Amino acid sequence: MVIGIIVVAVYYWAIMGTETSITNFIKGIPFMADFVQRMFPPDISNLGKFLLKAVETLQMAVVGSTLGALIALPLSFLGARNVMSNKIIYHFIRTIFDVCRGINEVIWGLIFVSMVGLGPFPGVLALAAHVTGALGRYFSEAIETVDSEIIKAIISTGASRIQVIARGIFPQVKPLFINYALYYLENNFRAATVLGLVGAGGIGMELLTSMRLFRSREVLTILIIMVAMVTFIDRFSAYIRKKITKVEVLN
Amino acid sequence: MIKIENLNHTYKDREKKALNNINLHIEKGESLVIIGSSGSGKSTLLKAINRTIEPTGGKIFIAGEDILSIPNKTVRQVRGRIGMIFQNFNLIERETVMKNVLDGRSRYNTNFRTVLGIFSDNDYEVAKESLQMVGLGGYEQDRVANLSGGQKQRVAMARALSQKPEVILADEPVSNLDPKLMKEIMDLLKKICEEENITLISSLHFLDFAKQYSTRIIGIREGEVVFDGSKDDLTEKDTVDIYGKTKDWYLYGKLGF
Repeated sequence: MVIGIIVVAVYYWAIMGTETSITNFIKGIPFMADFVQRMFPPDISNLGKFLLKAVETLQMAVVGSTLGALIALPLSFLGARNVMSNKIIYHFIRTIFDVCRGINEVIWGLIFVSMVGLGPFPGVLALAAHVTGALGRYFSEAIETVDSEIIKAIISTGASRIQVIARGIFPQVKPLFINYALYYLENNFRAATVLGLVGAGGIGMELLTSMRLFRSREVLTILIIMVAMVTFIDRFSAYIRKKITKVEVLN
Repeated sequence: MIKIENLNHTYKDREKKALNNINLHIEKGESLVIIGSSGSGKSTLLKAINRTIEPTGGKIFIAGEDILSIPNKTVRQVRGRIGMIFQNFNLIERETVMKNVLDGRSRYNTNFRTVLGIFSDNDYEVAKESLQMVGLGGYEQDRVANLSGGQKQRVAMARALSQKPEVILADEPVSNLDPKLMKEIMDLLKKICEEENITLISSLHFLDFAKQYSTRIIGIREGEVVFDGSKDDLTEKDTVDIYGKTKDWYLYGKLGF
């Protein structure tokens, strides 16, 4: 009973605070209808240019994800409790991961645009920064769950610290790493489409331009390309990841 | 070959001593079997010998060298001279037999080459020979995950042998195998160590098994050596000393062969 009252109170408070109103929404439908109507039929006169920008978005995702994964890989060992016994370094690395991950790609985009100017390069940096944090954290956590008995076996052969990491730990986490990295590639393509909105290259930048110039019919064309590409990349990446996992399990 | 003097060990946060004043002299080529109940200190003693734990007191000499006083950087050279096999095999299941056996060559390889997975022709040669010794010639490219338990322990043995060890430590090497395989693996281990003049130190659960595969038996109870002699010297009273209540050692003896 008390819990029920609390739940109702919380929702009332949140709805009032956000001015969520069904009547306002219904009142807005004609405007939406007008907006949608003006989008038809899609204007494909600039299709070639948009497709090129979509490819640029894909390139940003590929380079950004790879760069992020390459930075995260060595750092993740320093951020794993079972590898890094020095608590200061461990916490330092984990904090870097949390900061990188905690800041959204778009915010990173704003930061890097002001640093290196407009275009796809700040977009790549933004994706890489966020992915370094996200993958770094997941990699570190994967490293912490490895079978310590195998590590002991490698240590007992007289292996050095680096050899223990390369042969005792890495083979155990490799499939997980590949899986996470591909997942983030997929994620980054979605993020990269939005990054254009802050001037960090790709198809998002075209979307912003067309919207500002009230070219609604171009906006529709761009939206269709974005949805189609995101769907395609998602399916493709899911397929590859499934294949890799399957091969790993079978072997 | 191995001389242990006043060895003591107490695990962190525990009051009881895991090893209590152990003194042993092990000759080259001996086949020493350590027996005792679970938690008696068998594994701790093995781990101390290749310094995968740092004993809290005492000395261990291997070929005259005090291995507990050498710096951390050279300790891996000591470990490299001692092969180890485990109850759970501790192999990288998703990799090939060859890759697992090559891990035994770590101490002969540089960090950089190990990271890239490069080994010398000689390393491959030694790994192949080791696999032939354990009867797994031709299995080089098989995935470990596809092998049976007995075959996995053979791969682990080949990994230890490719280290070209002076000593092999076997920590309950057959506890995860069925009786037929237990015998097969122990026969093979004993044969290879005799042929290669490798000192074998194993910890075993079963008394009858210990008698069969040892030139000398060490009985440990609560971290102390309570028996040290040949299998013929082992009396019923000794087994009670090692395992405690009559019922317990009877069980261990009965489960063997």
